Amino acid sequence: MDTIAPASLPTHEAPAAEKRPWIFTRPTAKTGLISWLTTVDHKRVGLMYGFSALFFFLVGGFEALLIRIQLAVPNNTFLQHQTYNELFTMHATTMIFLAVMPLSAAFFNYIMPLQIGARDVAFPRLNGFAFWVFLAGAIILNVGWFIKAGSPDIGWFGYAPLTSKAYSSQFAGDISTDLWVMGLQILGVSSVVGSLNFIVTIINLRAPGMTMMRLPVFTWMTLITAFLIILSFPAITIALVELMMDRNFDTGFFEISKGGLPILWQHLFWVFGHPEVYILILPAMGIISEILPTFSRKPLFGYPIVVFSGACIGFLGFGVWSHHMFTTGMGAVATAAFSLATMAIAVPTGVKIFNWIGTLWGGHLKMTTPMMFALGFIWMFMMGGFSGVMHAAAPADAQQQDSYFVVAHFHYVLIGGSVFALLAGIHYWFPLIFGRTVSEFWGKLSFWVIFVGFNTTFFPMHFLGLNGMPRRTAVYDGNMGWNSPNFIATIGAFILGIGIAIYFVTMVYTLFKGPKAARDPWDGRTLEWALPNPPPEYNFAVTPSVHARDAFWYEKHHRDEIAREKIQHARSESEHGGIHMPSQSWFPLLTAIGMLVGSLFLANHNYLGAISGGGLTILGAYLWSPKAQAATTCTPNLTPTAKTPTPSTELPLIFLFPLSLYLSPSSSPPIPPTPTPSIGIKTKD
Amino acid sequence: MRLPAPSRIAFRQLAALSLASLASFLGGWSWIEGPQSTFDTQGPVAKSQLDVFYTTVWVTGIIFVVVAGVLTYATLKFRARNESDAHAEPPAQSHGNPFIELGLIAASVFALVIIAVPTLRAIWYTYDVPEAEKANAYEVNATGLQWWFRFDYPSEGLDNSGHLVTGNELVIPANRPVRINLRTADVIHSFWVPKLAGKVDMLPNRGNHLWLQADQPGYFWGQCAEFCGEDHAVMRFRVIALEAKDFAEWVAQQKQPARTVATNLTAEPLRIQPASLTFKRNAPGWSQEFDLNPLENWKQKQFPEKDENPALIAHGRKLFQEKSCISCHTVRGHEGVGTTAPDLTHVGARTTIAGGLLENNEANLRRWIIDPNNVKPGNKMYVGVPLGASVMPGYMLRDAKTGHLTPNIKIDNSEGAALAAYLLSLK
Repeated sequence: MDTIAPASLPTHEAPAAEKRPWIFTRPTAKTGLISWLTTVDHKRVGLMYGFSALFFFLVGGFEALLIRIQLAVPNNTFLQHQTYNELFTMHATTMIFLAVMPLSAAFFNYIMPLQIGARDVAFPRLNGFAFWVFLAGAIILNVGWFIKAGSPDIGWFGYAPLTSKAYSSQFAGDISTDLWVMGLQILGVSSVVGSLNFIVTIINLRAPGMTMMRLPVFTWMTLITAFLIILSFPAITIALVELMMDRNFDTGFFEISKGGLPILWQHLFWVFGHPEVYILILPAMGIISEILPTFSRKPLFGYPIVVFSGACIGFLGFGVWSHHMFTTGMGAVATAAFSLATMAIAVPTGVKIFNWIGTLWGGHLKMTTPMMFALGFIWMFMMGGFSGVMHAAAPADAQQQDSYFVVAHFHYVLIGGSVFALLAGIHYWFPLIFGRTVSEFWGKLSFWVIFVGFNTTFFPMHFLGLNGMPRRTAVYDGNMGWNSPNFIATIGAFILGIGIAIYFVTMVYTLFKGPKAARDPWDGRTLEWALPNPPPEYNFAVTPSVHARDAFWYEKHHRDEIAREKIQHARSESEHGGIHMPSQSWFPLLTAIGMLVGSLFLANHNYLGAISGGGLTILGAYLWSPKAQAATTCTPNLTPTAKTPTPSTELPLIFLFPLSLYLSPSSSPPIPPTPTPSIGIKTKD
Repeated sequence: MRLPAPSRIAFRQLAALSLASLASFLGGWSWIEGPQSTFDTQGPVAKSQLDVFYTTVWVTGIIFVVVAGVLTYATLKFRARNESDAHAEPPAQSHGNPFIELGLIAASVFALVIIAVPTLRAIWYTYDVPEAEKANAYEVNATGLQWWFRFDYPSEGLDNSGHLVTGNELVIPANRPVRINLRTADVIHSFWVPKLAGKVDMLPNRGNHLWLQADQPGYFWGQCAEFCGEDHAVMRFRVIALEAKDFAEWVAQQKQPARTVATNLTAEPLRIQPASLTFKRNAPGWSQEFDLNPLENWKQKQFPEKDENPALIAHGRKLFQEKSCISCHTVRGHEGVGTTAPDLTHVGARTTIAGGLLENNEANLRRWIIDPNNVKPGNKMYVGVPLGASVMPGYMLRDAKTGHLTPNIKIDNSEGAALAAYLLSLK
């Protein structure tokens, strides 16, 4: 890599900071707790997402092991029915909303801006806010374990009228369902603001020359996933608001005694819930589409068709929700329509698999750990895809729906698919993020143990389902022919647990003791590998120009041209004030705390408390808005410098709080001009 | 149902064989031959659904073999075998081949059409009783309640008023289409008898139906398939299919009021002290002897027990009133008039109790009556039935505000024995 030595760039002296009331003093700590609490750096936000997601991944895994212990033998007494119901509800909710989605968000945050040659996301504070709100939602969902009401026990799908006051509570003060409602609602806020941020970033902050059809596939999948999130979450938001109204204010959306329609909940839930499935798998497909070309040492086979099939999956994903409802008696015509639409979605999915194999074909495959996970992904996702086609055939699904066959299917696509890809991604980007090399021996060992454990757990479940075992059952009788598959599945679950433990211990060891990684250890193809590891706060010392898909691969093969270009860019950038980074802020955290407090009170039906929580949120947003009129100028040698304060001009925005989140800019002039006449580069303004 | 063509038989057998060989390798035939097996179909609806399943297995199976073969070949063939291989000049940087890609898309669409055609045919076939057989179809209503099933026979009117009602065991005529109207009294449940038909949900405020047919007389296991609260796992039922003649006999017998063994309620009640029973939570309620020939055992159950004790039964009947069982249960011809709980008019003739969870015998009845919460935690007989804002008390009296439970009905071992004897006498 040819970079400009930081010292060769003129540093920019900023004016000294003015004296301000304490509340307007800006946090500037670069290390320590405060630096994390106030951070707006997309990489730090990404890391916080990642660590929280992995923590909840372990929590969800622990819940799964308890479930498997209970099911190891027939008529087991290890868990009470009630506890079992809480566990499977929280296992699903945790894995979907608190593990896989935020882990994908971690990669969106950390990797995507690097791949497009940006210095941060478009709205850095909003980014911090999205994380803190996510953490608030996670706390609300899990607080039930520590209170008398218990955890939610209504299933992650929360089918009405089981969620109504009449059925969801063993006693009147049971707020576990309210906690679930508020928790998901808050997580929705986090996902939507995060996604808007990613969309704006990808559309506006691409480096010059990074046209849409040169975007790395992972970034493309980020974009599609973000669109899926902002289009699908409103459906569940509405459903949750209606449910909250039913529970708090005796409305009758789903209340049967008031003529409500529980089936309405199912439609609203799955209009969200099916795109959600693709929200979980598309980022994984993006990661795989990065890893396979890197370790095959050739470009992705059929890039445009992989991208378009991803978009196609996104579109079709909104038209198949009712295949989760084949057994609700929709009538033959609706069933047929959703059956065919669901089969159609297999085509773009299959195309991706063909193209991944095409990528391998004729390459020089380097069998590293990420590559092993990626190949494992193709195998497992193929299996899960085929059982998916079996459900698409509605008559066959009548026997499979809500049986263990479905449990097998979605664990093949969510563990064999999403989780394998995310584990591959962690291993793949670990040298970049932490600057250390993970042991190949321990990596491969963890892969094989996970692979064997996973299949031992979930393959027998196909037979359990076809042999008539329904899901979500705390006990089963020993005369049903379900004993040995269940026992084998439990053994498999522990093997899988050991595999995950090996993986995590290896990662933690490497984080502290691993050998230092060389730059670009995998001979990477995309821009993030152009950076030193770990990347500096400002990412790119000089904004790169992109000349081809696989931008970094091109750079490596056109060194002289790129070096000349960089010197020119560096000069032009420093003439216009150097690198400008957004300043840290307490207010995203404060705003999120307001939402946490308000939601907890609302779940407890304490409206005064809820209003004060809302007040705190508005206060946070208010303080956030005027504060936004500042920017940090940052030189490549990482000297934080003071910033120009400007008076507030955005007070009216407090009346439009939700809008203000999207509108309030995160940093302000001086604007560094685009270094070259460019396509779509914008800086934060 | 049309007779399958020979090629279809071969196709089905081959598919079954390949699945079964895998299964037997892993642990024997029992993996796909349980009482709720979807492979061991006993009626045209389940058979049609299984045929579609086999079609999907074949099509995806062939694609799997081809794709997996290519993937394995590519992985092995293009693998870097040593260090120098891994650091050699990169291979040609090719970007794809539109003809291969379009060809593969066309092939996938073709494969899906093969699945789609039988799928569409089966969707319409399984949705409702075929036109030609509509007139012959027998109609039953099934209602899901937390956590048991009620079965109504609208065509079997009773002498004075109403129609025949049973609980947890649905008796149907064999060899005749049965249309089941699905209703629920509370949350969503799902009616699933895997050997006869795939599941259909019971939705509040919305009528639903399914149809099925048992090709032969038989005893079938069924279970609620939609999560419906705390005891979803133990919400089970049975379907018994009988020859036309047996079915008519059964209906005639069921229409009778409850059987009375002794009417002498004034005699000094007999108190026996049976050995007390202790059951672990979740202890199994089934027996191998029963499973060996379930239909025969069901038929035996229609006759009075050999060692009936009239005095004990009379005492049980009295307790049935005293312990306020009658406010929720009906025993037609005797005292009970309640409708929130299963109709017990002929409970002694059923093979299961407690929502299909326990085999119906003296020990299990006592176990269920004395400590229902140990059998089925949180069941409505124990915690009471919510009625609007208040709660109809069960074994416990529930405070509507705090949910706090205080004991209401207490049944000891000796009383349990009398009640069990009474209930078993209700043939």
